[in-house]
Amino acid sequence: MKRLSPRIIGNLIGLAVTQVCRHPLRTGLTVIGVACGLFLFTMVEAMHRGLERATAANPEDRRLIVFREGRFCPNTSRLPERYGGDIARVPGVARVLPTLVVVSSCATGMDVVTFRGVPPADVASTLADPTSLAAWRERSDAVLVGPALAQRRGLRPGTVFEAAGVRATVAGLLTSDEVQYQNVAIAHLDTLQRLARSVGTVTQFDVVVADPATVDAVASAIDAVFAHETEPTRTSAEKAFVAQAAGEVLGLVAFARWVGLAAAAAVLVVVANTVLIAVRSRVQELAILAVIGYDSVAVAILVMAEGLILGLVGGVLGVAAAAVTLYVGGFSLTSEGFSVVFALDAGLIASALTITLLLGLLASVVPAWQAARRPVVAALRGG
Amino acid sequence: MIRADKPLAPAGADSGPRTQDPGLLICARGIAKVYRRGSTEVVPLDDLDLDVPRGQFLALMGPSGSGKTTLLNLLAGIDQPSRGSLHVAGTEIGQLSRSRLTRWRADTVGYIFQLYHLLPVLTAWENVELPLLLHPLSASDRARRVGLALDLVGLSGRGDHFPRQLSGGQEQRVAIARAIVADPPLLVADEPTGDLDREAAAQILALLRQLVVEQNKTVVMVTHDPRAATAADRVLHLEKGRLIETALAAGSGAS
Repeated sequence: MKRLSPRIIGNLIGLAVTQVCRHPLRTGLTVIGVACGLFLFTMVEAMHRGLERATAANPEDRRLIVFREGRFCPNTSRLPERYGGDIARVPGVARVLPTLVVVSSCATGMDVVTFRGVPPADVASTLADPTSLAAWRERSDAVLVGPALAQRRGLRPGTVFEAAGVRATVAGLLTSDEVQYQNVAIAHLDTLQRLARSVGTVTQFDVVVADPATVDAVASAIDAVFAHETEPTRTSAEKAFVAQAAGEVLGLVAFARWVGLAAAAAVLVVVANTVLIAVRSRVQELAILAVIGYDSVAVAILVMAEGLILGLVGGVLGVAAAAVTLYVGGFSLTSEGFSVVFALDAGLIASALTITLLLGLLASVVPAWQAARRPVVAALRGG
Repeated sequence: MIRADKPLAPAGADSGPRTQDPGLLICARGIAKVYRRGSTEVVPLDDLDLDVPRGQFLALMGPSGSGKTTLLNLLAGIDQPSRGSLHVAGTEIGQLSRSRLTRWRADTVGYIFQLYHLLPVLTAWENVELPLLLHPLSASDRARRVGLALDLVGLSGRGDHFPRQLSGGQEQRVAIARAIVADPPLLVADEPTGDLDREAAAQILALLRQLVVEQNKTVVMVTHDPRAATAADRVLHLEKGRLIETALAAGSGAS
């Protein structure tokens, strides 16, 4: 045999592909096993990444949430709408958005609908396309829905739906990338106040500060203004607030990550077992290859290529299945009105495929080493 | 002719120390093979000398356990002698490392098994192509060589058949095509007709003979069958690890 060249390595990989394809039952079962493991791993990691996106603080964050002190569920937080003017006068505050939040359930769930009532004039033009925004402003019962909610509930412009006692017509879809706009329905504040019998009150104020460095100071200043009111406030950075509100989700995701890791470990075992069985059932075949001139490196490449192919094909199928499921399902976990939208991005896809490749490689190292080191004469006798 | 425009690798190239005798393909001096089986020392071959000129068809005969297959494995570089020197195709193979010995085998030896040992999941074409995958040839070069090899063994129309779809004789011819496709100077055959009926066996022996005559291959064949041995130029008997030259039968391949 010549020294290994790219062409020879390509030939050996081609031979491994042929071997894998000519054992359809074994290959099929292994690929399905790997795909199931990677599907589970990807789903759990998508949930984890969604949680990170919703809660990981960034030095550039400028958003605050002003909530009723001692309350955690939007259904119980009630603040006078007039607080908005006082908050706007606090030094460092750039913008105040009074918001009434109505949720179909305060418990943690995967199909919670969150209505956020805001003054129509205050909705940023960047949240939706101009046509949808104009249609929404024209009708008091209209809502703009986030893409995850729309996908999950099959909502399109013109669709009428009902949740949490609110009947609404979809005017358009929200186009914002911000996490908290993915799973909500933006409604007119006065309409929602009337339906929720909360005229004159809101759940919270969404505040934007002028300078990110002053977030903590502005939060303290806002709470100081209302400290002696009958409805005192608790002001936090938005992501810290979400992290606190979604405490149950945090625990759930932390547990689920272990399940994801267990799935990855199962993939390792499945591939290792298959490659090991393949190598042991082909002792004579590998010995014949050795007689023909396949040295231990060539045999190891063949065996490891099989593991890599099985891992990669199963991984691609598992990740693709997860991507389709996440897209079609529009999954999100909502707790106390705040949503964690499952996030499958290019980084997660690359990580999942890298993991499956590494697992395939790792799983075939021992079988490859065994196959490469077996004495030819003994192996020819079937030993 | 299976012979390529130029050899894939000159015999013995880049494989280790060379011998100076160009007339001999095999030159063994005082080779012995010693195994340990538990506390017992088994010596299937002891102090054996053997010269095989290039282009000779040699038959090795002997009773079971006489060391025929052990000797064949040594000549093919599948195993290495415990003592003595063994030059094959210009290379002292007794001292080569495992990886260099394997590389040497790829360039120098075509092995034909009694039970054919084709890979069952590969077609005849793919089985024949196996040795060429270790050479940096283009796909078209490989295809040309495989086509020539299958043509030579009379199976050019069976390339897409799997081993289970072939008769024993056809399987053995595919195995021969696999053995010659990389154009090695030495073919070793371990009872190549042992699992075949008389007609198929005669075809295989004629094919081996043809390779010797037309392509100057050196063939070393182990056989139990005296009729098969008559196809050879020379017959050696192994008795208790020693070689005894036997007079050729009338009508042998050499005649």
